[in-house]
This record gives sequence, structure tokens and C-alpha cells, in this order.
Amino acid sequence: MIEKETTLYLGPQHPGITGNMMIKLKVKGDVVTHAETHVGYLHRAFEKLIEGRNWLQSFTLLCRFCVPEPDPMELTYARAVEQIEGRDVPPRAKYIRTIVAELARIQSFLLWYGGQSGSSGLYTLGQWSVGDRNYILDLFEDLTGARIYHMYMWPGGVRRDLPEGWVDKAYKTMDYLERRLVDYNKLLFDNAIFQKRAQGVGIIPKDKAIEWGVVGAPLRGTGIKHDVRIDEPYEAYADLDFVVPTYEGGDVWARALVRRDEIKQSISIIRQALDKMPGGSYYNRIPNPMKWTVPAGEAWVKTESVRGEIGFYVVSDGGNKPRRVHLKGAAYTHGVSVLEKILPGQNIADVSFILNSLGVCPPEIER
Amino acid sequence: MQKHILNRLKKVFKVEGDIKAPLRIKIVADKDLVSSILLYLKNQMGFIHLNHMSCVDWIEDNKFELVYIVWHPEQKQTVLVHTFIDRDNPVMENIDTIWDQANTYEREMREMYGIEFPGLVGAKEFILEDWQEMPPMRRDFDTKKYAKETYATRPGRENARDVRKEIMKRSGEELPEFAKKYSRD
Repeated sequence: MIEKETTLYLGPQHPGITGNMMIKLKVKGDVVTHAETHVGYLHRAFEKLIEGRNWLQSFTLLCRFCVPEPDPMELTYARAVEQIEGRDVPPRAKYIRTIVAELARIQSFLLWYGGQSGSSGLYTLGQWSVGDRNYILDLFEDLTGARIYHMYMWPGGVRRDLPEGWVDKAYKTMDYLERRLVDYNKLLFDNAIFQKRAQGVGIIPKDKAIEWGVVGAPLRGTGIKHDVRIDEPYEAYADLDFVVPTYEGGDVWARALVRRDEIKQSISIIRQALDKMPGGSYYNRIPNPMKWTVPAGEAWVKTESVRGEIGFYVVSDGGNKPRRVHLKGAAYTHGVSVLEKILPGQNIADVSFILNSLGVCPPEIER
Repeated sequence: MQKHILNRLKKVFKVEGDIKAPLRIKIVADKDLVSSILLYLKNQMGFIHLNHMSCVDWIEDNKFELVYIVWHPEQKQTVLVHTFIDRDNPVMENIDTIWDQANTYEREMREMYGIEFPGLVGAKEFILEDWQEMPPMRRDFDTKKYAKETYATRPGRENARDVRKEIMKRSGEELPEFAKKYSRD
């Protein structure tokens, strides 16, 4: 055992995350004894800039809070504005929103597959899953006109109706992805390297998880069943059947198994929503956006994203611009306080691996 | 359930409050009471999860509004604890002894709003680097003015004119045919 303590700066560029974030590590040999998160590389003052834009213009900034999964940001903000204003959303829009949210979940999971396998040296799966992700981006492009940042879910509904032939294409994509999951299983979960690297690494204790602010797949990986889609059902989730997978252990392995099962659930949710898609309007029109004022009030609205629960605290002073828009992303706790607690005792080589399993998205921390 | 939680808080702490939405209870408390309320919510009532902490700048009233959002994992209820502090002397009790992760929120508020939390541990700089101006999330900080004074404009971008035309003039190149239809004039 080496007794001398050395400081090691990991990042801001490393394979564990999408984005830039530095972790200052104190190490003895290759064992971490202390960790400290440093952020600020991606700070663009979005929340400040939003205060100077009107309610609708904010959407162009909002979706950029997190690159791998921008849709829950739009959805949560739109719901917050609707809640303050008391605006109804037509049932068709609710179903379309559910489908988009679940597609976003799957594409983000596929990106996570890439990161998780890449940070353990299994590069093939990353190539496959990122390739398959493009089929979902194709669906997004047909539906919204954009691949990554959609600005599709607005207060009052969605921007466009489903284009012709889209539903069939969506069914086919789901069938294809379901077949591919078998290959992913063989390549990642049956792989001895991944099993050895993931089991017993980066453990979050079950009795501390909720108190530490752990949410999403990392929380369900400790055996605690909490999902905003079940606890506070929004959009069409109350009408659809799905289960929330949980695993015991709290390690990287349990979190990976939770995510693997969640993709299957998402595919099932999308199929059900496509089957049950109601007719009618997809948009409860808002007034002229430049003159549109939202009554004074506040809302705290939560959505289940891939990384876990995200929330928007939105305050209106009755004007045509938001008074305050404050995002609470899952990474805000996962990437700072939780990470700093679970890293001591781990191997340097596992740091990126653990980061990825927590789903840390740095722009969510600094915004 | 919501009424029961609200009445209990009203009875114990003599605070104002109401039910804002399904699963949302709002209370407004004096700043000295906040940490006691949060500790009571966590230890006595089972609100063990700190969901969020936020700050709103009410510059007209010369006040900062601080919001603490806590959640009950079994009852699925959320309590929002609001309090107001003086904008000229923004000092608030540090609660990172109740929840560790509050440290992150408080460091951000210290940096972005200039609110002091006595006893707060952690580097002064969290997101910003070498920041000399007033805390930037305050309403009276003008982002546009700061950017104009601090950063140089790239030649050709001094005004809202079409950048491509400016560049074209400099280099003597022709604007491609397909780009002409997007021209601003």
C-alpha cells in the first residue's frame, strides 16, 4: 500500500460524461481517498437569459440544459407554465407528448449504453447503440423537423400533429429496437468484463439514498421504487400499463439492469400510446406570443427523465417574461454531493465508469 | 392528508400557509424559523428528501425570496417553505447540517445572489471563475451591458446587418446563389 497522497485532476474531458466537468481526486496508489467536483466549463447563464425573454422564446434555451436528453426540459417547463396559467391540454397532445418523452428516454439510454460500455473498454456496443439511436432521431426529425433540440412541446400542446406514415414508422422502429436488445444483452450483460467491473462498484447505501437526494435509476438500483410517472402521473401515463423495475445492490450493475429493463418498458409504453392515440386537436392555441402574459404565480413541476427526477421551479410576476426559471436536474445532487460521497475507496479507473452510471450531465449542474 | 400536514405545521410553528395544487403545500415562515421547520419536517414528519432550494429576486420590494422544497417518499406530498430576507443584508442560516446536498445549493446562491450562509464550507468559487462584478443572477445585473463592455465584437458584427455581406465585402467573394434567398435585405 502506497502511503503518499497525490492530487489528480480528472477531466474536464474524460469518457465518463457527456460534457465537461473536472473531479479533483486525492489518491493513494490507485485508490481514491477524497473527491471534489469542479464545474463551470459549460456555464452559459441560461436561467439569467430566460428572464429577459418571453415565455415562448425561452424554449430555445431550455432544451439546451442537457444535450443527451432535451425533451423532458421542454415538457416540464411547458407543464409548469400550463399549471400557473390553468391552460388545458387536449388528450391527443398528451399522448403525443408521452410518446416523445419515451422516445427521448430510449435514445438517451442508447447513448448511455455507449458511455457505459466505452468507459469499461467495450467499444463495439457503443458503436451499435449510437447507430441505432439514429433511427429514433429520424423519427424526431420527421415529427419535429430537428434531430436533437426539438422545441416541440409548447404550453397548450405540441407544435405539429403526427405526419402521415409516422405511426407505422414508429411501430417498425420499436420492433427493430426490441430485436436489438437481445444483441445488447449478449454484448454487455453477458460479458464477463462488464460483470466484473460493475458488480460491487460505486455502491449507494439503500438507507441513505433518499436522504442523499438520489433519484431515478440509481435510486431504483438500491431497491427503492420511486418514479414520478407513477407517483404524480402526468400526460397519459395514468392510462398506460407499465412496471417500474427495481434491483437490489445499489452498485453500477444494479443501475445498469434497471436501465436495461426500462428500455423494454418504454417500448411497451410507446406501443400502447400509439394504439390508444385519441383524435381531435393537438394544440390549445396560446395568444400572440409577443403579448402573451401569464398570471402571477409559481409552480414546482417534476418529470421523470433518464437521469432521474427533474423539476422546474417557475415564478411569474404577471408579465410577458418569466420572473424566475430554476431547474433542478438529477445531476445537481448525483454529480456533486453523491459522487463525492461514493468515490472514496474506489479505483481511479472506475471513476468515469461510476460517473456514467449515475447519469451525470454537467450542463444541468451549472446551466 | 394535505390539510392534516398543513394544520400540524400551522399549530406547531404559527405560520401562514395554504394548499397550492394537488400534492403541493405552501407555507410562508419567518427566516429564523426556517431551519427549525425543516428539521421538524425531516425528523418528525418524514419529509426526508430535499428536492430543491431556490431564490427569487424581488428587487421592487428589496427582498430575496428563498424557497425550500421537501418531499415525503411514502405520502408523496411536497412542502414548499418560503421565506423572505433583506436584499441589502442577505444572510441566511446554513442548513447543510440537515441535508448535505444543501451545501451545493447554498454555494451557488452565495455566488449567484451574494447571499451569505455563516459557517458554509466549500470553495468560494463554484461555477464562475475570477468574477469581480456584482452577483450575476441579481435583477440589477445587466448581462447585455456587461457583455458589450467586456467582450470585443468580431469585425462585421457591430450591428444587425448581414454578416455574410460584410465578409463578402472584405474578401471580395460572391454570395452563393442558394444563400441569396436568405438575405436580410
